[in-house]
Amino acid sequence: MTKEEIWAERYRPKILDEVVGQDDIIERLKSYVESKNLPHMLFSGPAGVGKTTSAIALAKELFGEAWTNNFTELNASDERGINVVRSQIKNFSRTAPLGDASFKIIFLDEADALTTDAQNALRRTMERFSATCRFILSCNYSSKIIEPIQSRCAVYRFKPISDAAIEKRIRNIASIEKLNVTEDGLGAIEYVAMGDMRRAINILQSAAVLSDQIDAEAIYKIAAMARPIEINELVELAMKGDFMGARDKLDLLLIEQGLSGEDVITQIHRAIMDFGGISEKLRVQLLDKIGEIDFRLTEGAHERIQLEALIAHLVLAGAKE
Amino acid sequence: MMTAWTEKYRPETLSDIIGNDKAVTELKKWAENWGIDKKAAILYGPPGIGKTSAAYALANDMAWETIELNASEQRTAAVIQKIAGSAAQTGTFFGGASGRRLIILDEADNIYGNVDQGGVKAITELIKKTNQPIVLIANGYYDMSKTLRWACKPIQFRDVQSRSIIPLLLRICHNEGIDCDDKAIELIGTRAGDVRSAINDLQAIAQGRKKIHIEDVVTGIRDTKESIFDVMKEIFKGSDPKRALYASYSLDENPEDFIHWIDENLPLEYKGDDLAKGFESLSRSDVFLGRVKRRQNYGLWKYAGEMMTCGVQAAKSKKHHGYVAYKPPTIWKKMGQAKSVRVVRDSIATKIGKHCHVSQRYARSELIPFLKSILKKKESAIGVSAMLDLNQNEIAFLLGTSVDSTIQSIHDAAQKRITQATEHSIETFGGGF
Repeated sequence: MTKEEIWAERYRPKILDEVVGQDDIIERLKSYVESKNLPHMLFSGPAGVGKTTSAIALAKELFGEAWTNNFTELNASDERGINVVRSQIKNFSRTAPLGDASFKIIFLDEADALTTDAQNALRRTMERFSATCRFILSCNYSSKIIEPIQSRCAVYRFKPISDAAIEKRIRNIASIEKLNVTEDGLGAIEYVAMGDMRRAINILQSAAVLSDQIDAEAIYKIAAMARPIEINELVELAMKGDFMGARDKLDLLLIEQGLSGEDVITQIHRAIMDFGGISEKLRVQLLDKIGEIDFRLTEGAHERIQLEALIAHLVLAGAKE
Repeated sequence: MMTAWTEKYRPETLSDIIGNDKAVTELKKWAENWGIDKKAAILYGPPGIGKTSAAYALANDMAWETIELNASEQRTAAVIQKIAGSAAQTGTFFGGASGRRLIILDEADNIYGNVDQGGVKAITELIKKTNQPIVLIANGYYDMSKTLRWACKPIQFRDVQSRSIIPLLLRICHNEGIDCDDKAIELIGTRAGDVRSAINDLQAIAQGRKKIHIEDVVTGIRDTKESIFDVMKEIFKGSDPKRALYASYSLDENPEDFIHWIDENLPLEYKGDDLAKGFESLSRSDVFLGRVKRRQNYGLWKYAGEMMTCGVQAAKSKKHHGYVAYKPPTIWKKMGQAKSVRVVRDSIATKIGKHCHVSQRYARSELIPFLKSILKKKESAIGVSAMLDLNQNEIAFLLGTSVDSTIQSIHDAAQKRITQATEHSIETFGGGF
């Protein structure tokens, strides 16, 4: 194994006790380890708050050395269709658990990416294999998971991680990596991370590439760069009145980088939030327009046309400013 | 807004269909006996001679409801089952269990290729299981798969002779209050080649006229085959919404494709306020296209068409002069060119996704930009390349350059590190025993 280069992975908690900011949930999970039994579970909550980490740590503590044999991780948004998920689940559950475990764990990430039909199929799969397997489903919104699955699971709602917990962790990593993060730098990390630990650590690592002295200014600069650079360029070109230039950036994002229209508009939304040099009145007006286009993305047929309409609007706004 | 005459004068009953008496009789017999034999019917023959019209007229005569599955929508097995399956196995709302629905599958010889995966099979299944009559419409009989042909009764439609078309054109002129030379009508009827084109030509020539002379036809015919560039000129430069709309009718493009032409060229013509308003219309048009797609409601196509022609035309605040060289849509070309880049990008996203326990989508939108930022340090570039076992193309993608000596040296150093790490772990492993 080569060295772990990504800090968010290097400092990913290995045991349940290291998981921060979810104390009540961790207590419950530890009690499952003691009793060596587990219900099906649904972990819901935003990105970067410890859902996957907790599931892996739980498996390690339950199964010890044999954890990799008894734990599998699937991502519902990657696997094409429920049939793939089902056949992988079948193959995994076919063999007996290793060590003194009496079951295996299947961790299905982004379960809310499954359609209702697929979730119904999953429900039957869960039932068929429940003698040998426990399911941990993870999702951003539990409301997107059908009721019959929810009722078969113990539901755990992961909260965004508190600023205090993020600060503590960042201080800890900074001292190991020999970085000097100023107080306002810490505040800036908390501000841009919005309770997402992975985002906080990624930003710290990006900033460390530039300098080992890290202050608020550096963080805000990095935060803007943490989104695809084309997003900022797109917004800037549009506000300067260069529609064609902005459209080329849009094509890069949609076609080459493969972002979905939804991803692009989320990023533009953030960029407009951070964009300097416009009046607050105009910002609000732009946010309203972004909301409208976001809605039309789901109603329309072509993402590119909807986003171009937004760019044309930015061009107009830029000219009036 | 006026409607297209081809729609306005679409025959309502089978007896109004011109020409093709034999086919019409066969079709009628098929419908009357439907139930004893549950075979579907295939109406095949050249375009514009009344196949689709016959299917609708039949439903009208039989007092059946209709459901149409058009080729413009991707006809995957899932779509076909969803739209037609429910219709095929249950009764109708008004007619109860005894009420029939005629399922019309237009362009049935077009259900091939990747987009329609499973489509042929689903249709064959549907024909076997159905409790409702199904009509398939196609140009080429032998373009359809054997299984499909065997499951259906073929009914051939042939070219309609101009002597049958001319009376129809006369009737339309009369109805529209247009005075037309016999010679002019004859020319329109003989030149067009089929009924639909003849009606389209007549409408295009009659636009803005109360009287049609032979000279109008001789010169006017050219306009009926308006090129896509002329239509765009009408939209971007013109100010008569009807002309823009009609011009778009004569095109051999459906709104789904035509919108890309307007989209490509709109920013070349309009600026500032006009551009924003033009795109607002296009955005609305696209919403209608989305609704057509999702609800299979092709009736909404006309609003999409109107928004992208009349809407865009009306968005300008002043007349735009000057010549603009219009371009065909670049979007398809760009997608083709970007294919190899996308392959590289997706393989990186897969590697990151596995390593960081996230989906490929999250890796693409959140973690690739992050990795790009930390790869600026050569030491990190080597480390990350070794950790994820990246190839040269992947490293170049993340650094935003093409493969050169720098990329090669990073790759070599990374591979060396992987080898060392493997040797090291074998040593520790061996030492332990």
